[in-house]
Amino acid sequence: MTPLHPATLGITLFLLALLVIAPVVIFVLQRLGRLTPTMRKELHARYLSWLVLVPLMVAPILMGRLTTIMAFGLLSLFAYREFARATGFFRNRALSATVVLGIALMLFAAADHWYGFFVALPSLVVSLLVIVAVFADSPQGYLQRVALGIFAFALFGVCLAHLGYLANDKNYRPMLLLILLCVELNDVFAFCCGKLFGRRKLAPHTSPGKTWGGALGAFVLTTALFAGIGASVFAGSVLASPVHLVTMGALLSFTGQLGDLVISSVKRDLGIKDMSAAIPGHGGLLDRFDSLLFVGPALFHYINYFVGVGADLPARLWL
Amino acid sequence: MSDDWQYRPAADLDKRAPEQWRSLRRESGLLSWGAHMAWCGLTGAYLRAFHGFRIEGREHLPKHAPFVVVANHSSHLDALTLAVGLPARMRERAFPIAAGDTFFETPAMAAFAAVFLNALPMWRKKCGSHAMEMLRERLIEGETVYLLFPEGTRTRTGVMAPFRAGIGMLVAGTPVPVVPAWLDGCYAAMPPGSKFPRLRPISLRFGPPLVFAAAPNTREGWRDVAAQLEQAVKALA
Repeated sequence: MTPLHPATLGITLFLLALLVIAPVVIFVLQRLGRLTPTMRKELHARYLSWLVLVPLMVAPILMGRLTTIMAFGLLSLFAYREFARATGFFRNRALSATVVLGIALMLFAAADHWYGFFVALPSLVVSLLVIVAVFADSPQGYLQRVALGIFAFALFGVCLAHLGYLANDKNYRPMLLLILLCVELNDVFAFCCGKLFGRRKLAPHTSPGKTWGGALGAFVLTTALFAGIGASVFAGSVLASPVHLVTMGALLSFTGQLGDLVISSVKRDLGIKDMSAAIPGHGGLLDRFDSLLFVGPALFHYINYFVGVGADLPARLWL
Repeated sequence: MSDDWQYRPAADLDKRAPEQWRSLRRESGLLSWGAHMAWCGLTGAYLRAFHGFRIEGREHLPKHAPFVVVANHSSHLDALTLAVGLPARMRERAFPIAAGDTFFETPAMAAFAAVFLNALPMWRKKCGSHAMEMLRERLIEGETVYLLFPEGTRTRTGVMAPFRAGIGMLVAGTPVPVVPAWLDGCYAAMPPGSKFPRLRPISLRFGPPLVFAAAPNTREGWRDVAAQLEQAVKALA
């Protein structure tokens, strides 16, 4: 077994430390009388959810390539399920099965390390969706059904699968942990900066809570954090140069916040507050992981363009 | 143009398991649909192979949902048999109404009843008019088929008990057709108290549907509906 990358160890220990410290902080705040009963309940639910989510996110990455790809595949499927139920798309059994098939094939292409198939799938599955929808022979609502199917496959199949595909790189553990850490903290930074200096609303109709102050604050802090840890993660490659590190950090923060806004738009359009009730204190899985959606493709193709992803692993392992 | 798009989120979107399994507004996704279909396929094969399962009068079943099938109740095999008796394309819309206190008490049992049997719970002791109202609404909305045993419990003697008025609360004053059905042999194969079925022949007979659009949605109306259906089911015996 190759020794753990220092960044892998560092990020894992940092997350564990957070999980240990958080209840102490909550306890102290409670003792100081700073928490209203509703806030206390909400913090409690959120903490317990993180206590489950963090191991679920970190353990598969530490365990290996296949478990990582499987974990992101499961995330894709659950995210799709939420979207399908929230829009009512799930009632179209044949189309829904086609999206699931598409997600499964993306998962297979990633696990097989078959890049050609991986990038061919979007056009193939989109064609399949358009065709399968014809067989119901009910043109009323055809465009809506097909569009929802393509939207779902593009976001939850194609976009999220890029994170799984990163596991084919020998440096995947620190890369993915860095991405997950920065994406989650990007949300936290945006929230905190928004509280501190948020005045002008960013997109009041889409997400009334978001402010320019929060967005810019998160942009600066996340970029700095990514560049700081990234210097160790990408050491020895061209990506270790400050220009690349800052660009990648900026890309992550920008696309992360966009993912959030996209899912907010979906929820506003549907007229619902949460995508589901899957995670107590957070809402649905998509309410928690919406920021990951576009970070995957953005960083994957950036890294792939400059240094290549999975150069040390033979292509097409099984087929 | 974009205003024409209609979204209809899952009716149980705000619920998570196990409440979701117990929800009267539950809507199944691909997984539970697949599980339910596979279960129906297996029970169908079993009934045909070991109980010489026969179905008569299928032509009486309406071509489209919504409708209700009411039958005599003498065995745990009844709901399975009735579900298999429907044409395959109707099975995904068919919800057996099952006793909550038997089939939905523990989370494991509720998961089985919801995912494999596609059952909806009826709490015999604390069933309020609210639950009946929800079932009635769901039926009128037009996409469901209920499989119902208006006796309220399995017969312990093999003789059919009087129908309870609850069935009337669901259909009185609605255009929803109710199909009477007679299950024969389930009592001999697996009466209450027995753990495993005996290999006895089982058959199912559907009768012509009744509609209660003119029946008043009152206590008397409900009783009248129940009495008429009881007669219709008895006539098939």
